[in-house]
Amino acid sequence: MGSLKESAVSGSNPLDSPVKQIQIDGLVVLKIIKHYQEEGQGSEVVQGVLLGLVVEDRLEITNCFPFPQHTEDDVDFDEVQYQMEMMRSLRHVNIDHLHVGWYQSTYYGSFVSRALLDSQFSYQHAIEESVVLIYDPIKTAQGSLCLKAYRLTPKLMEICKEKDFSPEALKKACIGYEHMLEEVPIVIKNSHLINVLLLDLQEKSTVADKHELLNLSSSNHLEKSLQLLMDRVDGMSQEIVKYNTYCRNLTKQQQQKQQYLQRRQQENTQRQSRGEPPLPEEDINKMFKPPQAPPRMDTLLIAGQVNNYCQNIKAFTSQNLGKLFMAEALQGHSS
Amino acid sequence: MSRFFATGSDSESEESSSADEITPKATGTTFSKHIVCCPLRFRFEELTNIIKTIRNAMKIRDMSKCLEEFEQLYRAFLKSKTIVDKEGVPQFYIRLLADLEDYLNQLWEDKEGKKKMNKNNAKALSTLRQKIRKYNKDFETEIVSYKEVLNCSPNDEESESEEDEESEDWGSDSVDSGGESEDNEGAAASLAVVFLKKYVCFNLELLSLFLFDGFKRKRHKKMEQVDEEADEEGEGEEGGWEKVKGGVPLVKEKPKMFAKGTEINNAVVIKKLNEILQARGKKGTDRSAQIELFHALAGISNENNLGEGILVKIKFNIIASLYDYNTNLAAFMKAEMWKKCLECIDELLDILFENSNIFIGENIAEDSENLAISDQPFRVRGCILTLVERMDEEFTKIMQNTDPHSQEYVDNLKDEGRVCGIIDRLLQYLESKGSTEEVCRVYLRRIMHTYYKFDYKAHRRSLGLQGETKSEQDQEESEGEDSAIIMDRLCKFIYAKDRTDRIRTCAILCHIYHHALHSRWYQARDLMLMSHLQDNIQHADPPVQILYNRTMVQLGICAFRQGMIKDAHNALLDIQSSGRAKELLGQGLLMRNMQERNAEQEKIEKRRQVPFHMHINLELLECVYLVSAMLLEIPYMAAHEFDARRRMISKQFHHQLRVGERQPLLGPPESMREHVVAASKAMKMGDWRTCHSFIINEKMNSKVWDLFPETQRVREMLVRKIQEESLRTYLFTYSSVYDSISMATLSEMFELELPTVHSIISKMIINEELMASLDQPTQTVVMHRTEPTSLQNMTLQLAEKLGGLVENNERVFDLKQGVYGGYFNRDQKGGYQQRQNYQRGGYRNQNQSSY
Repeated sequence: MGSLKESAVSGSNPLDSPVKQIQIDGLVVLKIIKHYQEEGQGSEVVQGVLLGLVVEDRLEITNCFPFPQHTEDDVDFDEVQYQMEMMRSLRHVNIDHLHVGWYQSTYYGSFVSRALLDSQFSYQHAIEESVVLIYDPIKTAQGSLCLKAYRLTPKLMEICKEKDFSPEALKKACIGYEHMLEEVPIVIKNSHLINVLLLDLQEKSTVADKHELLNLSSSNHLEKSLQLLMDRVDGMSQEIVKYNTYCRNLTKQQQQKQQYLQRRQQENTQRQSRGEPPLPEEDINKMFKPPQAPPRMDTLLIAGQVNNYCQNIKAFTSQNLGKLFMAEALQGHSS
Repeated sequence: MSRFFATGSDSESEESSSADEITPKATGTTFSKHIVCCPLRFRFEELTNIIKTIRNAMKIRDMSKCLEEFEQLYRAFLKSKTIVDKEGVPQFYIRLLADLEDYLNQLWEDKEGKKKMNKNNAKALSTLRQKIRKYNKDFETEIVSYKEVLNCSPNDEESESEEDEESEDWGSDSVDSGGESEDNEGAAASLAVVFLKKYVCFNLELLSLFLFDGFKRKRHKKMEQVDEEADEEGEGEEGGWEKVKGGVPLVKEKPKMFAKGTEINNAVVIKKLNEILQARGKKGTDRSAQIELFHALAGISNENNLGEGILVKIKFNIIASLYDYNTNLAAFMKAEMWKKCLECIDELLDILFENSNIFIGENIAEDSENLAISDQPFRVRGCILTLVERMDEEFTKIMQNTDPHSQEYVDNLKDEGRVCGIIDRLLQYLESKGSTEEVCRVYLRRIMHTYYKFDYKAHRRSLGLQGETKSEQDQEESEGEDSAIIMDRLCKFIYAKDRTDRIRTCAILCHIYHHALHSRWYQARDLMLMSHLQDNIQHADPPVQILYNRTMVQLGICAFRQGMIKDAHNALLDIQSSGRAKELLGQGLLMRNMQERNAEQEKIEKRRQVPFHMHINLELLECVYLVSAMLLEIPYMAAHEFDARRRMISKQFHHQLRVGERQPLLGPPESMREHVVAASKAMKMGDWRTCHSFIINEKMNSKVWDLFPETQRVREMLVRKIQEESLRTYLFTYSSVYDSISMATLSEMFELELPTVHSIISKMIINEELMASLDQPTQTVVMHRTEPTSLQNMTLQLAEKLGGLVENNERVFDLKQGVYGGYFNRDQKGGYQQRQNYQRGGYRNQNQSSY
């Protein structure tokens, strides 16, 4: 437990991004966990601001503070104002006050959404190094701390900047759901004094606290994940149907357009033979307005989310299988 | 001012009255002096009034006022068009037009003055000038002649000179000069002076008469004016008139109706009748007076023994004019008027019954009528059936327009008996005399008054309670036929004889309604199915559709009482699912925005409303629906908990459940809906006792269940149903917990007999709803673990969804390739659908067998 190190290698190449590694203070982790314990219940999501500084290609997150939970009733609450106040106050007590990103809790790994995309885009647009930390309380409760840092890929940044989510634009940008978010490796770092204290505590603590790891009743978790996955698959189907109708309409119109053009051409040749001036052809675009293309960004996000769920389920099941084999082995051994 | 008029037009009016022998108005005069108001005088007075204000406005150069008044004058003149046509354009009118034009031209020329005028006035001036130019063209000849006359008399005091020259014209002149003099002095005293000055040459008698007359007329005119304006609602005003008339003794009037010494015989009376009739429907005819006239005529004919023929004829006319009293069809008759009408019809029927030698009919032409006493039977034109129908409709209208929670409503409702009595008598009459069509119509009327009433007598009799009832009631019972028998007889006649579809449809619906009301479910259902009304009712007119809806609802409630929950639910589904039950049953309008209907539509809809005493209790209806939905839906939900393709049986019920869930704080149930929701929750857990206590308790009894005629039986049925369905729900929900369960335990838990439990479980097993088998020797149910776990279920669903996704994706791909349906061909889809069908079919089977 001393220095929990979680470094997942993401599929994308982080070379071109200004941040290659994230170093988080133990304090920040604890604060985030505490925040969720206190305020987040069930599928409720908690959010907060990360503070820190950039050292070469390493982003050091040294502190954080939560966004207060506020209902829709108090309209006069100003979030920006609150953040400013908070940072000023922190500065007064000599804490890093540079805004380097934000964190968010998640429910069974469902975080790839439009809201996240938009806010992370605005963050990254304003502060280039900023990241979003995703904290999964459920996995953490099962015994393995789950904290991941994500950044939008430069490609996605560009698309978001242009705000063009049409099929063509996405196609041109060559962006798939795999290339939307890049994960940045995380290192949790504590001061030596704390490490000493932890080692000290480890000796004193009893072993019994750790049996969560071996819990075999997994169906509940799986069911939940499956439900969420199903929901997203439904969403995906709908999007596809939408896209499908769009495509069909487009081709139909194209055909009509073609026919119209042919007819016009024939007419024109006739007219020419009769010596009359040809009819103009520029009104074609007015007559056939191309149908509104459905924005594809949602589909992309859903695909990303589905991918995420699948990864989760895969990880979970493989873990469980391991546990089951272990349990079997143990049983065989004892009997 | 009225005096001028009195003078101005009196000569003319005298002329007219002498010229027309006896106009309707003139007869009115003889009848009662108060209503007399010669339209000519009245109109002319109106004109002169306006003219005076115009002259005043001219004096102070108030052009906008002038314009306004001129427009009024124009309108007033148009109104008096008929009189003008007869009498010629009055001189004073021409005079004003000429003067006004001159005056305007003068003003127009006066550039200085025009500049000084304010904007409004200048504008008014120009418009007025244009208008009068245009308008005067119509009267060109008159104006020219007038101007000539003016030029002929060089005298400045034109009025006097004219008076000398043209005796015919003096009236209008006097108006003018009078107006002028009044303007100068502006006092009432001066009027008198003018008056005297003008008429000193006339003899004193005439003068006093005029004075008196004018005075009186002045008073009445005001009232009449009000009357004219509020033409339609002016009943209060006219009521006042009636009183005055009442003061005039009848004896005195009679000689006035016919000249003294006239021998009163048939011909004279008929002539008189026609005279009165001619005034009918004309504007300005005093309708109440007309009714009185008819009454008087009836009295006369009675006195002189002119025979029943004429009496019948007069009675017909009285009733017709009573109906005429309200010109607007939408407005309802006053209850008193209607009662009068009722009496008249009653009397008419008396006469008809007493004298079998009177033939009445619509198709008897006026000239072939035989009203005189002779050997031949009387022949009178008129249709008593139509009158009675109209009376009945008016009754409905009165009931629609009375506040249902007032004593007045109860009082009005008491007359329903009389209406029924009249219809009964008419029925008897027509059965002997009328054509089959007429009989059908009157039968339908009778049915309409019977179908919605619960026959308590028959009900009591069927329960065998005669012994307890008092002797009075015994008598009643013995004398009255069962309404069921009556309905049966009448309806069957209509089915056999009617040729118009509408009457038959109505009769069938009423018949079904009556059956359903008296819990004769199978007859009602069979009739409904045989009539095939469900297929084509949407082509019927709205009132019939409302009747159909009422019938369906009654049918559903009947099914519920009989314990056919499924049928009850099906019958009520259409009405309840729309959420517009109130509107569909014609029991009130829904609040909707005005875009959807305008005032006109609203009026029409209002006219379709069913009177309050025929209403079906909406809460009862909803409760019945929700409870039957609960009994169907809760076991179904329990059985298909993991089924992704589960369908709702009742949307409404689900909606109520959701509303219940959304409640932040769940208190003890208050309303009927909350009770049902709470009961549903209890039932979900298989807790039939709680469910029972929620459905049947004090509150629900008073709100719903006590409204049924056989309360106790319905409640017993309900308890039984709740027990059975709870057992099913329990088994669905908790079967996975048990390895085996003893039927004895179940029967104890749900207080059902062992055979019932056995049959319910057997049915469930047969329908493959419950994976179990019965162990006969030990009387236990042994559960089989064959069903997939929830996780497996979920994965199956996911797989299915993914299949759909892939299919959709393929389509997109196909589109790109330009090939349709390459990958997933039709066979596969067919298979998919078949599977769906199979599942649905399974559900249906289960339901059919469980009820």
